[in-house]
Amino acid sequence: MTYDPEIMTETPMRISRSNISTEINKTGSWRFVRPGYDEKTAPCSSVCPAGEDIARIEMLVGQGMFPAAWETILRENPFPAVCGRVCFHPCEGVCNRGQMDSPVGIHHLERVIGDMAIENAYAVPHPFYGDEVEANRRATHGKNIAIAGAGPAGLSAAYFLARLGHACDVFDADSEPGGVLRWGIPWYRLPEDTLKAEISRIVDMGVNIYCRKPVTGEFLAGAATSYDAVFLGCGHGRSLHMGIPGADKVQDGLKYLHDIRRGKNTRTGGTAAVIGGGNTAVDVARSLIRLGVDTVIVYRRRRQDMPAFEHEIEMALAEGVRLMELVTPVRIDGDDDRLSLTLQQMRITDMETAGGRCRVVPDGGRTRILKVDRAYSAIGAEPLESWSRPPEQQPDLLKMSHCTLSTHPVSRLPLVFGGDLTVPVKSVTDAVASGKQAAMMLDTLFREGKTGIPERIAQCQVGGGPALSMEIYLSGSRKFRNPTIVPYTAINTDYFPPADRAVPPMTSPSERRASFEEIEGGYSPETAVKEAARCFNCGICNDCDNCRLYCPEVAIHIDGTRCINLDYCKGCGICVVECPRNAMSLEEEKS
Amino acid sequence: MKEVVEGSHAVSEAVRLARVQVMSAYPITPQTHIVEALSEYCAQGRMTGRFICVESEHSAMAAVIGAASGGARTFTATSSHGLALMHELLHWSSAARLPIVMAEVNRALGPGWNIWMDQTDSLAQRDTGWIQLYCEDGQEALDTTLLAFRLAESASLPVMVVLDAFFLSHTYEPVDIPDQTAVDRFLPPYRPKVHLDTREPFALSQMAPPGCYMEMRHDIQAGMRRVPDLYTAAENGFEEIFGRRYGMLEAYRCEDAEIILAMAGTAVSTSREVVDDLRDRGEKVGLLKIRMFRPFPTDLLRHSVSNAQKIAVLDRNFCFGLGGIFAQEIRAALYHGEWRPSVFSYISGMGGRDVTPEIIKEVYGLAKAADRPETESVWVGLDPATCPVCRTA
Repeated sequence: MTYDPEIMTETPMRISRSNISTEINKTGSWRFVRPGYDEKTAPCSSVCPAGEDIARIEMLVGQGMFPAAWETILRENPFPAVCGRVCFHPCEGVCNRGQMDSPVGIHHLERVIGDMAIENAYAVPHPFYGDEVEANRRATHGKNIAIAGAGPAGLSAAYFLARLGHACDVFDADSEPGGVLRWGIPWYRLPEDTLKAEISRIVDMGVNIYCRKPVTGEFLAGAATSYDAVFLGCGHGRSLHMGIPGADKVQDGLKYLHDIRRGKNTRTGGTAAVIGGGNTAVDVARSLIRLGVDTVIVYRRRRQDMPAFEHEIEMALAEGVRLMELVTPVRIDGDDDRLSLTLQQMRITDMETAGGRCRVVPDGGRTRILKVDRAYSAIGAEPLESWSRPPEQQPDLLKMSHCTLSTHPVSRLPLVFGGDLTVPVKSVTDAVASGKQAAMMLDTLFREGKTGIPERIAQCQVGGGPALSMEIYLSGSRKFRNPTIVPYTAINTDYFPPADRAVPPMTSPSERRASFEEIEGGYSPETAVKEAARCFNCGICNDCDNCRLYCPEVAIHIDGTRCINLDYCKGCGICVVECPRNAMSLEEEKS
Repeated sequence: MKEVVEGSHAVSEAVRLARVQVMSAYPITPQTHIVEALSEYCAQGRMTGRFICVESEHSAMAAVIGAASGGARTFTATSSHGLALMHELLHWSSAARLPIVMAEVNRALGPGWNIWMDQTDSLAQRDTGWIQLYCEDGQEALDTTLLAFRLAESASLPVMVVLDAFFLSHTYEPVDIPDQTAVDRFLPPYRPKVHLDTREPFALSQMAPPGCYMEMRHDIQAGMRRVPDLYTAAENGFEEIFGRRYGMLEAYRCEDAEIILAMAGTAVSTSREVVDDLRDRGEKVGLLKIRMFRPFPTDLLRHSVSNAQKIAVLDRNFCFGLGGIFAQEIRAALYHGEWRPSVFSYISGMGGRDVTPEIIKEVYGLAKAADRPETESVWVGLDPATCPVCRTA
């Protein structure tokens, strides 16, 4: 059978068809709005105290590029494995994905990246950004900096200053570096090996750490002869005294944590009360539970008012710690073996104060007795030395968000106060932020003088917020990022199928009660890749190529990077709409 | 194998058997069942073609235009407002000479909002360059769809297969569903004459200046002029394999008829009964089923009515300011013919109203009694009472 009938062979069929291009028709002349590549700021990175480039980190993990993801973290934070465990991850609270199903597991991902770097001994890149010439030039102009305190702030300051070409000597009173990371945070939240590995990386960069060598007032007075500046990140060395009758019968919670990490004071069994509502109180209580001690936290306000991270409180209660709310000890009687705490019942007078907590006053004469074997106080701490606190009044004082710059009253040596004494939120990641800000301030001081500091710091803000980026400081590509925060509504969610957040394995409360082993497991690399693929990569280009593929004028081409040929772009905006992650913008043409 | 299937699904089966490669459609009653079944076939793996979901009929037609330009066998379906929304691209697809096949289920246009049978939607697209074939029953819908692919691909013109809403689309009848090997014999894979190919890039359908536009239009008409022959060739092939043929027009008992009833769609079945009945009573009446509306089979029409005095056309459609559309077309076709019977135009069965044997008999009676046609169409079966839902303004 003939399918193509002969009939049509002599019937003409002219259709417009051309083998030459349509380039003569410059459709760009129709345009009144212009699309452009315009990388913006992800909400997560704007609230990360360390200003990590989270959207890019997750993009790299999603592509299986763990070393590159790790290097991206290292630009802003020397402690990925530590912060992946102990950071309170405000990033996840603002994650745009949370409005679709649940936030990306950013802290779990940071942890797996940090752990893989330790396990596989990833090499620290040199230089981080910019070229070798610039890095060498910096090193020849390097200064000598003394750093007081080997806690997260001091170590971060040393790390960033070393990155900027300065020589750093870190002094610490204790036998090992780490500060609160080493002595204040229990093993079950931060294993020692993880911390050691991240600190040794800083030492390998050429930072000298001197232990059992506290910085003293004397040292400070004479420091000008050997150093160009001093960073003071001494933190809170001394616990606050309760100031009630019998307060001396109470043990210092911070010291107790310290002793446990030294392997001392592992007395088991009995009962204990922990007084306070902060992270230290919760850590003390959870350590006691692990030693078989029946533990109760005594707090003067309500659970929702406790400054401790909610997640930690929840875990403590699951492990068997009990909580007494709205009571405060007014006197303590008894001897070493048996204590009797007289607890004053508290009454709420004002539900919400400026700090977000309720205000309480003693509720008349209502008291009760709590009998325990031991009691620990964790009601706050203060600096050990008066000079480690930044001066309140001084003519040449420069107060920034996480640090204060002043000078030694006699030698005029620049002093930067950082760490817990100057940060807005007392967290490890804020301490990192403090060290970073100090490094930027000192580097700018040496290069441009003090007057240049506020402007330089302002230029390094992530999304206009308080977080600072060292990559921006060093003119990395992040410098060109638009500070506009990407809202959820700007994400083209059609490109993101629903997917549950990956949950890492966790030991059960009963297992937890029995040991100081780390509670939370990490993602496997495979899970990490999958979880990172849930990230919208808000505001940054991940080379999905949608813009180019959807351009009806074929006006986008790749020449190293993507380019828009404005001779033909008619401004239809399809590229901008089809960009899943708001990495493009449409602007009105200026006539 | 004979199966009892819905008219819509008779079309779906034909599309599956035609091994269509790309389908795209937007749901609209009463068409939806057709593409619903197709999307299921794709999901079940019974079809290997791609079903592209879109947000409108305009995009559905644009999607199949793109696919057909790339050399794929394509199908879409719509009704009423959906077809109206496609209008721009109906012109495009025929002028680009793309053999797209579309099932169009005749439905009234609103307002008043009405989902029932009415032919105005498809007839309003008569100038778009689409071949139009009207079907009477489920078997014919299946067979016409298969024929449509072959006709479209040989003429390089798109084909609209037209079905009455509900009377055909939603009615279950026994339909012989042919087997795949037989269909493959009738309909080998589509071999496009021109198609886009990334290996040899060129641009299609761009600017045609005054120097060539008219010639291109003339070529479309040259293609249209060939359609009757191509259609006959396709039907020959079809009959050889399946043993059925329909023709472009069907003249039923017309040889010695003095009055011929003319119409398209399912009303033909009813009229067949009425004609038999009237014949039994000695009336010289015949029936002309209009199957092909574009191209209009003028020669065949003239030949088919060469003994009649009167032709009574029953239109389930209306062209405001003029009259029934089939009647106009038939009048125009006969004007320069050697034999010119009078053409009477009757309007009935719009918006889903039944065309009963009584209505058809009334039409016959009116035509028989009148000396010559009225200037305007005569509306049959109008209810003088006010409808409870449509008060007079």
